[in-house]
Amino acid sequence: MSDLSVNEAVVMRNVCKDFKVLNRHEGLKGSIRDLFSRDYNTVSAVKDVTLTVHKGEIIGYLGPNGAGKSTTIKMMTGVLEPTSGEILVNGKVPYKNRTENCENIGVVFGQRSQLWWSLPLIESFKLLRDLYMVPQKDYEAMIELYRSLVDIDPILHKPVRQMSLGQRTLSDILAAFLHNPPIVFLDEPTIGLDVSMKAKIRELILGLNKEKNTTVILTTHDMGDVDALCKRIVIIDKGTKIYDNDIEHLKNYFGSYRTLKLKLADDTWEEYLIDEKTTDVMDVIMEKQKEKKIKDVKILEISTEEVIKKIYEGSAK
Amino acid sequence: MNPKRLLSITRAGIMESLHFRLGIFVTLFANLIYLVLVYYLWKAIYDSSGTDVVNGMTFSDTMIYLILATALFNFLEMFVVWDMSRSIQSGKIVLDLLKPMRFRKYTFWSYTGNHVVQFVLTFIPTFIVVMIVTRGAIPLGLNLVWFLIATVLALIINYNIEMMVAPICLFTESTWGINIVKETIVLLLSGASIPLAFFPEKARMIVQYLPFRAVYDIPLSILLGKSGSDTWQGLVSLFGLQLIWLVVLTVCGNLFWNCAVKKVTVNGG
Amino acid sequence: MRKRGLKFYAGMYRKILVQDLKSKMSYRADFIISTFGMIMTNLSGFVTFMILFHNFPEINGWDYHHMLFLYGFSLVALTPVQCFFDNNWNLRFMVQSGDFIKYCFRPVNVFFYFISEVFDVKGLGQLAFGIGTIVYAWIKIGIPVTPLVILKLLVFLLTASLFMIALMNFAAATCFWIKGSGYVMVIMFRFKDFAKYPSSIFEGIFKIIFTFIIPIAFIAYYPSLVILTPDNVPLLSWISPLYGLVFVYLSYKFWMLGVRKYDFTGS
Repeated sequence: MSDLSVNEAVVMRNVCKDFKVLNRHEGLKGSIRDLFSRDYNTVSAVKDVTLTVHKGEIIGYLGPNGAGKSTTIKMMTGVLEPTSGEILVNGKVPYKNRTENCENIGVVFGQRSQLWWSLPLIESFKLLRDLYMVPQKDYEAMIELYRSLVDIDPILHKPVRQMSLGQRTLSDILAAFLHNPPIVFLDEPTIGLDVSMKAKIRELILGLNKEKNTTVILTTHDMGDVDALCKRIVIIDKGTKIYDNDIEHLKNYFGSYRTLKLKLADDTWEEYLIDEKTTDVMDVIMEKQKEKKIKDVKILEISTEEVIKKIYEGSAK
Repeated sequence: MNPKRLLSITRAGIMESLHFRLGIFVTLFANLIYLVLVYYLWKAIYDSSGTDVVNGMTFSDTMIYLILATALFNFLEMFVVWDMSRSIQSGKIVLDLLKPMRFRKYTFWSYTGNHVVQFVLTFIPTFIVVMIVTRGAIPLGLNLVWFLIATVLALIINYNIEMMVAPICLFTESTWGINIVKETIVLLLSGASIPLAFFPEKARMIVQYLPFRAVYDIPLSILLGKSGSDTWQGLVSLFGLQLIWLVVLTVCGNLFWNCAVKKVTVNGG
Repeated sequence: MRKRGLKFYAGMYRKILVQDLKSKMSYRADFIISTFGMIMTNLSGFVTFMILFHNFPEINGWDYHHMLFLYGFSLVALTPVQCFFDNNWNLRFMVQSGDFIKYCFRPVNVFFYFISEVFDVKGLGQLAFGIGTIVYAWIKIGIPVTPLVILKLLVFLLTASLFMIALMNFAAATCFWIKGSGYVMVIMFRFKDFAKYPSSIFEGIFKIIFTFIIPIAFIAYYPSLVILTPDNVPLLSWISPLYGLVFVYLSYKFWMLGVRKYDFTGS
């Protein structure tokens, strides 16, 4: 590997991951047959993914369910070994130095809390401080930073099991940043939360990223998260990377689409999806005006959600 | 209740158990090792006692009794309590209670699938091995039929005991504690850890009328032709005891469960 | 890179243990019932033992008091596995539900982190029960009390405890490969009930199996002979500490191999 890659947060080169899965048969007879069957299938969860994440970036790692997102994250965190290819996280091979790698990453995984269930949050923090050997001074500074970003005092002395989902997620995110890791992995951090909590959590992530220059790798199905946090997104589907660029480019992925909405005489709206590269919006309006009377015109940017949906659908074909 | 519906639940239960294929082989293997342990222990005990028959039990009687009790134990073992406490923690209990069938019934029939698998894959092989080791010490005749009937009755009694214990776990938040108390009592008083025939006279008199005996001791005694089950009168009285407990426990279990459900819905939401 | 040595792990264990005890206190009813359950299992084991001796005065040349000593010895030797390694019982549920992955995100040894999470106080009841039995049998047999004998007793009790720890590690770790392997643990745990009998009852190939492969004979029998028959201690008793350490090490390696091989699907 070149020397440059050591300075990147994450470098993946031609990474593949295969799983062996038993071929299950249908029905009662099939179940009995499976008892003795040696019929395995190899499933490639990740196929030849090459990816570089720069320091201090927040990248959105997207893909439909079962695309291989979790598997990639598990490889980056050193839990899984890639079948082939190279991965460097903070310049080290995560799988070979799992403990060392864990010092330098923070993880919030799905809705699974990694905190001590029946302990007050502050006790969990203290245990984490000791586990990661964070100097007391840094620990206190971090708590102060948290205090300036969110209102942590009401939850600090509450046992995790008594918290609401939002408070729990918030706690988990704070716990992941506590040892000031260069990289934090967030897997669906806002799933199941209400609108205001979502906003709070996005603000917190942005704040921490800005203060500590932490690299954040975010997987989510919520395009609100992506719009609020990510400058760059990577999309993976069926184990293959299908998009890797700035979020602005995304909207031009299928050409530059815009939605044209026309209000007609009977107060109904008509919608047209227009590719500006091939058609001019004004032309369409002129053309339509010849047919019917138009009371109002709106031109809308295509939303991230719609583009992503089109990309997922496009790759499914 | 539509029998076809019950059958399909049982079928799903069978398929689910079969999915743990390696687990099944390992269980079978572990059972065989356990069998060897029991064999050597009791062989040594009988060898040092100097007599062939102790309290009406010969060496092969004792061995068959204990090994089949263990096999029965595995076959009857249910994790109702554990499953339930987990499903309460995750809130899944609400879904279970919403299924278009009474919860107790649903659980029972889905466990039946597991029982069928366990019976075929662990009990029957163990039975065959025991037959070979003891050179056919188990009488083969009508007693096999009676044994099967007694086992089915034992299964229902056992299920009712489980269903009485499960709500207590929920109230006390002590799944392990309650379960271990139950298991200890059932194993000791049902004769699964040491045959009831070896109990001192007075203790035996009491234990004889408790429901736990109906789970292991009665089916096994019937299989071995002990406890007077070789006569019609004896057989009738053993089945009578099982039936009485079955009715009593089912009624109590029902009442208890209905109270518990109310409590759960209040707490769990 | 900061080193995490023995001192770090010892300190960490103490801190996690204290927190675990604190949180246990918040489930008082559970604590009381579980302790009661533990006493019940011990009583039931004792009753079974008494019933057995009620019918048979001796087993393989071992009389009542010697058997009682062996029984107490096995109870004490089984305490560490009960107290310190109880979380092994939760392993398969954690692995099945996918929650196990959280143990892999910390910069400490996974086995340590997982095992340290639970300290089982109930095991202490068993310890008391076992010590009582040993003392009673000790007096009845009339073994002399010298510092050397006490030291030997402690060393060989510790030795004996290693074997059950190793067995339970092996049994628990099977869940990384085998779905529905819960029964392996249950039966392994039941094997311990045979530790309280003299292993001279086994013959032929099974003697080898139960001595070296599934070392039931080492859980109490061989280590206890150092105290019971001081004039005639078999070689196996003397090498048992070494063998115990090797066995625990192997079980640890097996456990860790399971973590590495497991594919963490399902999340």
